Amino acid sequence: MLKITWVLFLAVIGLGHANLIRSATANDDYWSFQKPVRHPAPEAGQLQHGARIVNAVDAFLLQALEKHGLAPAPAADKHTLVRRAYLDLIGLLPSPEQVEAFVTNPSADAWPRLINELLDSKHYGERWGRHWLDVARYADSGGYETDIYLRNAWRYRDYVVKSFNDDKPYDQFVQEQIAGDELWPDNLDLDPKRVYHITADQKKHLEARIGTGLYTLGPLIHESRLDARRLHYETLTDWADTTGSVFLGLSFGCARCHDHKFDPLTQTDYFAMQAIFASSKEVEIPLMTAMEIGDTRQAYPKIVAIDEARKRYRLYEQQTAGKTLSSEEQTHKEKLLIDIAQKVLALPAGAASVPGTRYDGLMEIPTVSVLGHEQPALLKTVHRLERGELYGMKEQIQAALPGALAQATDSEVDLPKPYGSRKALALWLTEPDHPLTSRVMVNRIWQWHFGRGLVATPNDFGAMGQEPTHPELLDWLATEFIERGWSIKDMHRLIMTSSSYQMSSQHISEKAVQADPENYLLWRMPRRRLEAEALWDAVHTAAGTINLKMGGRPVVPPLAEDEIASLRDTFRWPVSADPQEHTRRGLYILVLRNFRFPMFSVFDAPVSSVSCPTRDVTTVAPQALWSLNNRSVFSQAQAFASRVRKEAGTEAHDWIDRAWMIAFARHPTDRETREALSLMDTLSQTDTAAPVDALAQLCLSLFNLNEFAFTD
Amino acid sequence: MNRREMLCKSGFGFGAIAAADLLAQDGQLAAATEFNPLAPQTPDFAAKAKRVIFIFLQGGPSHIETFDPKPALQKWDGELLPESFREFDLAQTNTADGRLLGPLFPYHRHGESGLEISTLFPRIGQHADEMAVIRSCYHESFIHGAAVTIMSSGTILLGHPTVGAWVTYGLGSESDRLPAYVAMTDAAFTNGVACISSGFLPAIYQGTHLRTTGAPIMNLTPLKELGQDRQRQLLNQINQWNTRHRDARPHDSRLDARIANYELAFRMQTAAPDLIDLGSESQTTRNLYGLDGEETKQFGGMCLLARRMAERGVRYIHLASSGWDAHGECRKNHLENAKKIDQPIAGLLTDLKQRGLLEETLVVWAGEFGRTPIMQGKRGRDHHPYGFSCWMAGGGIRGGKVIGATDEFGFHAVEDRVHANDLHATMLSLLGLEHEKLTYLFEGRERRLTDVGGSNDLAQRLLS
Repeated sequence: MLKITWVLFLAVIGLGHANLIRSATANDDYWSFQKPVRHPAPEAGQLQHGARIVNAVDAFLLQALEKHGLAPAPAADKHTLVRRAYLDLIGLLPSPEQVEAFVTNPSADAWPRLINELLDSKHYGERWGRHWLDVARYADSGGYETDIYLRNAWRYRDYVVKSFNDDKPYDQFVQEQIAGDELWPDNLDLDPKRVYHITADQKKHLEARIGTGLYTLGPLIHESRLDARRLHYETLTDWADTTGSVFLGLSFGCARCHDHKFDPLTQTDYFAMQAIFASSKEVEIPLMTAMEIGDTRQAYPKIVAIDEARKRYRLYEQQTAGKTLSSEEQTHKEKLLIDIAQKVLALPAGAASVPGTRYDGLMEIPTVSVLGHEQPALLKTVHRLERGELYGMKEQIQAALPGALAQATDSEVDLPKPYGSRKALALWLTEPDHPLTSRVMVNRIWQWHFGRGLVATPNDFGAMGQEPTHPELLDWLATEFIERGWSIKDMHRLIMTSSSYQMSSQHISEKAVQADPENYLLWRMPRRRLEAEALWDAVHTAAGTINLKMGGRPVVPPLAEDEIASLRDTFRWPVSADPQEHTRRGLYILVLRNFRFPMFSVFDAPVSSVSCPTRDVTTVAPQALWSLNNRSVFSQAQAFASRVRKEAGTEAHDWIDRAWMIAFARHPTDRETREALSLMDTLSQTDTAAPVDALAQLCLSLFNLNEFAFTD
Repeated sequence: MNRREMLCKSGFGFGAIAAADLLAQDGQLAAATEFNPLAPQTPDFAAKAKRVIFIFLQGGPSHIETFDPKPALQKWDGELLPESFREFDLAQTNTADGRLLGPLFPYHRHGESGLEISTLFPRIGQHADEMAVIRSCYHESFIHGAAVTIMSSGTILLGHPTVGAWVTYGLGSESDRLPAYVAMTDAAFTNGVACISSGFLPAIYQGTHLRTTGAPIMNLTPLKELGQDRQRQLLNQINQWNTRHRDARPHDSRLDARIANYELAFRMQTAAPDLIDLGSESQTTRNLYGLDGEETKQFGGMCLLARRMAERGVRYIHLASSGWDAHGECRKNHLENAKKIDQPIAGLLTDLKQRGLLEETLVVWAGEFGRTPIMQGKRGRDHHPYGFSCWMAGGGIRGGKVIGATDEFGFHAVEDRVHANDLHATMLSLLGLEHEKLTYLFEGRERRLTDVGGSNDLAQRLLS
């Protein structure tokens, strides 16, 4: 219920203050249900600040600003820009060399070139993939009471990162996630018992299918004596709601219990959406060829041997229970224990025939969790449920598109059955004239660049969401997106090369502050605090400890006693053995629905129960305590100091310069250098009995500066 | 623009806090107070209540099962709702074919006043003579998210400050070493941190979440490599740099709030361990709150911490009890939930009283709405914002009284109707704040907690 009501809540609130609550009337011609109309961008000649126009983005923004008598902020300096671009696109701090290379490049195309370089970086996908994972309610466990570990969720995470890096056209990205299996069906028969050969094409199709992993990593109810029908219903609810929020930008959930009070979505539409998914189920498919699987089976006796060794130990334990062991008996018992360990170590780590493949855990065949089809004999029907109550079953509902929306696109409402309805949904969503799909995505891209979407309620384009601040710009972007082949990277280029994106965030205009204190009209660049993961990455990048290895099973950094104290079953936090893994990017840290990584929780990482379109940004004292007192932060400050010493020689002056360049992408002022030197001096003199690495303390202080945690 | 607002928006802003702190160290406290937006403020008029403990029942407890006896409803058990009610729009329950469900728990009269409280809360009942029950609360939102928002910020629009933020803005902090506005929950907050948000008020007025399992606040111990002295030196430099950074970036309250939070964090290092160390509490006190009972220990711990925070000058304490959304089997749901909070809340009232804190601490008990008189699912009840109950105690309130009433079914509030805005106006009034004067200019309008509504008429009745 909680989940539903949250979605419902999003429908009923607006994020801003200027919007009015509309009356509860279904409104078929609501703006977002109409196809985007492309208006020509205002001409430079018509605008007072026309000289600022680089592309249409500027033209539309300037038009709105000037309408309110406001002027755009001047451009930011190059140091600010390079840090902004790095953190925005790849989520990593630029190195001093990268900063210098940009600020000393006098060429006119230095900025677009920088953007292209960053878009080519494989770390781009990690940064923007993480944004998408918020929307996809990504987690590595199922939540509720038992918080089941979803061991394959990370494959979806890696799929998302790769998709962003490949600049996979967004329409394809949508199609793969909803219906990768139905659209590219030639690996539907992947079956460990069959011998097959997988072609390169099929491998691609397998990737498409991993996209459907989106539907396998939702919250999972797991209780003893759980009603199977209830479980099925809750799963379908998650699938329908997620589809609505993620792709349509509509909070569908309300219509589970009643006709949507504010949008033209009926209860029938809602259950028809559930029916689209009713013939599907989660399946696990192996990610190995039959040959590799053969290798595994061949070594299976080694698993049996472990089991036997364990039994042997247990038996001996029983035999000697309650008895004081003689030293020989003790030795024997230990030998039995060691025998288990040796048999575990004897397991192969991967399949012999293909070097580089790796088994999961104890020789388990790697699999991926995806959507597949339920067998015909086991198909369940979907019924409209009175008040959304499982036992309030009314008429049967067939898979269909939401009526009002299908009307807007002149589409057939009814969908194929029992299979193929997901495919039809995906194709309908990605029709070029679909009123929502491209708008919703360009709005997300905009939001991830500027901190707020043109529609400030990115998961609610319905009547209870906020209306766009710049409707013509939104539509222009939505149509441009499609014209450019749904290329997300092209949208970055467009937005970031605009002069608007390059505005200063420090600009102040009393008039603008009075007229638009929340900066809805973008009269200056919004300043943004780094999200939890980005802050984590920044600390480790500055320290030079960041391990940029990509992908794979989630990593689990160690936690201090007070951090782990709220986790009841500490086995749920299996710390990674290799310390290198502790400094991976934040994206790769285990996401448990019931226990968020404490630093992330303090810095507002989302609760992944439902799609999270916008993160909170809170400012509370526990955040300061983290960067002042947390031991792992301090060890990063020490590493930061060592790095600075290594890179900047022996002069304290040079250390300070280097440290500033690393942390803030600029040189310190003379005053700051003097202050930093004096701070180090004071710290060294305070307590001569306990000497201190003053540079490490200075580095720690830099982690605590607002300049570090925010991008201008 | 009023004084409070000027303080927030002045060029000095909170950036001057570091300076203020240095001044304070030099003994120039008065000067420091000039700059500090969290400095204690004089209320608009003298009032007994200085702080609030808001006990929020998430999910919506049934008024019919708790503080609003409806004997007539028993006679209607299993009957259809009378014709006159059927047109009514409920969230999920269809009023046309809904059957009424009689009260699931009997009521007892308590204390000299004979206040009627259901058997769900025998121990809270012992405080009947301190409690004023309001049986005529109402608002417009029948779904959790929006209802929680209206009960916590007076409007269903997200992005508005919550009561705690307004109170802190109005009265400042009595503690320079603990956050002025603290929230705890036994599970998760409905709406997440939005329910303790500072909205468009400066970020410094945001609620701070204290965890109830494990360490309430993490990272409290200064690094041994530094110790407090060096840490202070480091902090002075951090403040200086952050202040200069902020001065070049006006109109960003997040930067100010972070600067202030560093000072607060520094003092919390000593104040918070003392706050959460329950070692000095006697066994009698532990028993009072049910700290050793399996069912009561979590909420009991929250209540005891609330008392300790009240003693230490925390201005607004928000305690959330979860799971009251009794769509099915209301009886079982409420029985289980009430067991978790009855003893802790009663213990809190007793303890506050015996320490002389109750007079100056306003305790409020409310959910985001009540529940329908109509049955839903298997003897459950649906959401119901059209008439529900809350109660208050302490803060100068003369207890043992009932204000307002619902109709014989518990459907509509019919007598002395108290909207969420009225409730908030009343709370502010009990704290000495005039709800129409506690304003903040935002987007061209002087905003207030009660928006365009609210009446504090109730306050006098509660006090007399």
